[in-house]
Order: sequence, then C-alpha cells, then structure tokens
Amino acid sequence: MSIILKVEDLVTKFYTLDGVVNAVNGVSFELSEGETLAIVGESGSGKSVTMMSLLGLIPLPPGKIESGTAAFQSDAGLCDLLTLSPEELREIRGGQIGFVFQDPISTLNPILTIGEQISETLIRHKGLSIEEAREQTIKLLSQVGIPDPELRYKAYPFQFSGGMRQRVVIAIAIACTPKIIIADEPTTALDVTVQAQIIELFKELRDALDVAVIWITHDLGVVAGLAERVLVMYGGRPVEIAAVRELYKNPKHPYTLGLLGALPSLEAKESKRLESIQGTPPDLLIPLKHCPFAWRCDFAFDRCWEEIPPLITVGDQHRAACFFDLEKGGPRDD
Amino acid sequence: MTEPQTLVEVKDLKKHFPITSGFLSRAKRAVKAVDGISFVIHEGETLGMVGESGCGKSTAGRAILQLHKPTSGHVFYKGSDLTQMTPEELRARRTDMQMIFQDPYATLNPRHSVRKIIGEPLVINGRMKKSSTELQDRVAELLELVGLDPAYMKRFPHEFSGGQRQRIGIARALSLDPKFIVCDEPISALDVSIQAQVVNLMQDLQEQLGVAYLFIAHDLSMVKHISHRIVVMYLGKIMEMTDRNTLFEDPLHPYTQSLNSAVPIPNPEIEMNRKRFILEGDPPSPANPPSGCVFHTRCPLAIDECITVEPEFREITPGHFTACHLADRKGGSKIIPPDPVRKGS
Repeated sequence: MSIILKVEDLVTKFYTLDGVVNAVNGVSFELSEGETLAIVGESGSGKSVTMMSLLGLIPLPPGKIESGTAAFQSDAGLCDLLTLSPEELREIRGGQIGFVFQDPISTLNPILTIGEQISETLIRHKGLSIEEAREQTIKLLSQVGIPDPELRYKAYPFQFSGGMRQRVVIAIAIACTPKIIIADEPTTALDVTVQAQIIELFKELRDALDVAVIWITHDLGVVAGLAERVLVMYGGRPVEIAAVRELYKNPKHPYTLGLLGALPSLEAKESKRLESIQGTPPDLLIPLKHCPFAWRCDFAFDRCWEEIPPLITVGDQHRAACFFDLEKGGPRDD
Repeated sequence: MTEPQTLVEVKDLKKHFPITSGFLSRAKRAVKAVDGISFVIHEGETLGMVGESGCGKSTAGRAILQLHKPTSGHVFYKGSDLTQMTPEELRARRTDMQMIFQDPYATLNPRHSVRKIIGEPLVINGRMKKSSTELQDRVAELLELVGLDPAYMKRFPHEFSGGQRQRIGIARALSLDPKFIVCDEPISALDVSIQAQVVNLMQDLQEQLGVAYLFIAHDLSMVKHISHRIVVMYLGKIMEMTDRNTLFEDPLHPYTQSLNSAVPIPNPEIEMNRKRFILEGDPPSPANPPSGCVFHTRCPLAIDECITVEPEFREITPGHFTACHLADRKGGSKIIPPDPVRKGS
C-alpha cells in the first residue's frame, strides 16, 4: 500500500510568558492508504499538538513549528503540509483531510442549521450548487445514521444530543470523500453506549470509503478494537510504534508496559492490584537531555540519564525509544 | 464468616428537582433525578454505582449525605434516620460521612494552604485548636497516609498536579476518621497512569482504616476493579444490583448487558472478535421519562407489558436484584448478540 502521509522530525514549541513549552519534540510516522493509526498518550503528551501542527491550526504566535516535514500525497501531487500557504492549506483541510474533534458542541456553529454547515463544505470544496449540496447533505445525514434526514436538515445543533452532534461532525468530515480523517478524542465526551455507536459508525465508514484514519486518544481499550497500528507518545516524543496486536502482546517500552498494567480488566475474576506508574509526566517547560520517562521508569540506568533514546527497530514493524531490553532484562546492546 | 454489619441503608430515596416557569415560578413538572432507590452499604465495603450521564448517580450520592434534601424516602446511618434529623444533629453525624469530589481543581480553595485545607474540618468540629502542634502533627500524619511529603503542608493547591490534589482531597476527607465516604467520580479527571495510583491508594486506605465507599463512576471496568458489589442506574432508577463478578458474568438486566458489551476491552485479540450488542439511540431526558420500564425505549427485548407496567425491583437469586419483567420468566432476559462483521468478510 502506498504511503499518503509521511511526517518527519516535527518539532513544535510554544513561546509563553512562563517560558518555552516543548510540546512536540521530534515526531515521525507514516500513514498508508486506508490504514487506521491510533496515537495514544496522556494529557500533555503532544498528541493533539502534533495533529494541529500538520493542519496549520496552531496559533502563531505563541506557537512555532521549528522543524520537520509532512509529505502529503494530495490530489495535485506530493506537497509538504508544513510549507503550504494558508490558502493552499485551506483547500486541503476539510476537503482531502477531514476532522472530528472531541467536543461536538464547540465544533458546530450554534446559529447555523446543520444542513447549512454540511452544505457549506460541499459548496466550498466541491463547487456544488446549493440545490446539489442539499441533496448530497441529506444523503450524508442518512449515511451517518441520522433518522429523518430531510427534517433534520433544518435543525440546529442544540436540538441534537451529544451522539447525534458527533454524527453531524462526522458527516462534515466525510462530505468531500477525504483521503484522511483525523479524529481527536472523538468519543471522550460521550457516554459509553453512545461511544460504542460512534466507534461502530467509524468502522463502517472507514471500510465503505476506504479512508485512512488517525485516531487520537488516551483510551487503550478503544484502540484495541479499532486501530491497525498504534503510536504511543510521551513527553512530546514517540516512544513506541507497532501493529496493534504486537503492541498489546509484546510492549517494548516500559511506559507502554506501565500503561497496560494500569488498566483494570473486565475479564479478571479476582481483582489484582493495579500496577501504577509512580510520579507524574514531565514538565514540558524544561528542555530534556535525557529520556523523558527516566524519572518514572523502574528500569532506568546511567545511559537513560545521559542521552535521549532514539526510535530503534525492535521487531517486525515495531520500533521503540528505549535503551533497556525488557525481554533480556538488561541494557540493549548496539 | 460473620454477617456484614449494615452501615448505611437507603430506602426508597427520591430527589425531584422542580422545573419552574412563569411569573410565580410555579412548578409544572419535575426532573426525577433519583426516583425511588433502595440499597444497603456494609461496613468496610465498596459499593460501586455506575450509569451514564444524567442517570442520577451523583444526585444519589449527594442526597444520601443530605447535601440535597431528599424529596422523600429515608437514609439510615447506623440505624438513625438522617432525613429526620435537625441540622445540629446532622452536623454532628456528618463527621462520620465524607465526600471526595471529581474535579481536584475546583474542590480545593486556592487561597488556603494545604495545612488549612486538611486541618479545617478538625478545627471546625472543635477536635483540635487552630495552630496547635497537635493539629500540625495530625495534618502531617494524614499527608503521609495519602503518600505526600508532610513538608508540602505549607504549599498551596496550584503547586500540585491533578493526582496530588486528589490525594489532598482524600486526606481532607479522612481527617475526621469517617466510616463512610461518597466518592463522586474521584478519578475521571485524571490520566490513566495517575488513576491507578489513586485507586490503589483508596484500596490501601480501606484496608487500613476499614472505611466504606460509595464509589460513583461511569467507567465500568474501574468500578468493577474497586467494588465488592455494584448498583447499575438508569434514569434515576436502579436496574440491577449484585456482586461484581455476577454483574459481568451473569447480568440479568438488558441494560447491564449492553453496558458490558459497550465497554472496550484493552486486548485486541478479544476486542476484534467480540460478539457485542450495541444499544441504539440516547438515554431519554429525566424530565420526561418513558412510561412503564424506563429502559423500554431502547430495550431490544421489550414486550407490551414493559411500556405500561413498571417492573418491580426484586431479588431473583440471593443477593442479585433486578428490575426487569423478563428476568424470572421463561425465555429470560438475555440478549443474544450478533456475530461480529469484519473487514473484508
């Protein structure tokens, strides 16, 4: 499968009154056509800032993209998302790359009907007439599972529940048959039964439209049933990337191992004590010269405090940024 | 084994909030946030309470502590009825019952030092003198108990992370040696790795101090992890109540079954091939709940009787309660989930 997005060495910083926030410190990953990649991390791990940087949604200033490239295989050919002009980027955003954000109420405009908001995308990007856009919008509404789409076309966001609003946002995201949908915590604000509906809808649409998905989340449970590959981030850096089954079965980074151990199991009969990770995530105001996880890591040794571990290949399609070999129980030789 | 001692008994508790309108603010209807719930909590036990937003779980917790005056019903604490007490009697009783809140940022006064936050309950209740060394020692002891450095007592809330603040909230709740703590979503504002720290702390404290918890949360897997027994709520009513393992292995109520089915399991081998049943629609508004069984609008097994007759909350097998007409009938109340549809198949 051909690669449609290749991000290399992305660095994003925020220049604030408190100092420089090192939000993203060298993120690289690839996305293939039709693939679902999950980016997992806790708050402050840089997972959202990474995506916002790619799409030119970082407020500049205080934000600044210091370095990196993001090669996107657009309809017009290969381009670097980070060097495009705001106008060029606007063509791609909402057209070839769709989004779904966490909070559907703040994503939608409260004073426009949902029909107008979906049509707007179609008119802007596909150049449809108002009538054509209306027809297409009604089709989209029924595709995302909204009952009585013709009636609902004229409804306002406040007349919808949280789950229905998120369906509308998804309809906008898929309106122009994008190549990539970026979903930033799309189910976090929803109840668990509604979350299950939205995830199911996503899977259906993904398979029907053959669109690549980048799913940003903190929930390793959701990832397990949805993603093909997973990128784990910590302290603004990627710490592990692997196929989903491999990552859960065979985590190579102590942080991934810790995260998996911190989750309670629905299956277990006896409840084991959770393996908590001691301490708290790093302060991003302090530029690091060593592994960002070293403070909290049970396996940290001298080298972890001296240099930043690069992402190295540790298995088939499996990379981790750690000097310690968990299998061997000692430092990795290289 | 000795019979567990009942600590709190909730009997047909109701809390309705009137919806007022017009010039004279006449109450037209009411939001039935909690509508007739009954259960007991034993000494040293954790009772989990789960449900989606708007099911009344937080209101229930507050109504039990009399932070909301219940509309009707009774709450017995060690046999005495909290709903019939005078404010003075209630205040004296409250020292035994504490609360831990969801948002560790909003529950600590930003202008108070940690010493003042944790020590205040002791001073107000006349147990210790303000600025006494005795108070200082007790605060230090409490900080150590929740895994914080006693030297932190001079600091202010903004100097702490979310997990540390939640520990301060727990230390404050423990200052009066309570027997019962209502924990209202104590971990949902925290990151995964920090959640585990706080849950472990709460379990350790229960073991050391024998305190009982009402653990309110929407995260089913965490509730299962920490609780001995679990109550499942939907639109102000209890759907099912049983011990933690039975709730997951043999859930009787269709709502419990669909909740179980909706919870993602962090294991791709299981998750990708799971037979699951997904509920349609959203929970109805508690201001306008459905007739009969409140769940009938989303229940795949609903029969005509469910639309008109409210099912009784009753014991089906010892210790296992549910409010479903079908639970003890021929055919039962089990949903058979469809086979999973996979990509390419």
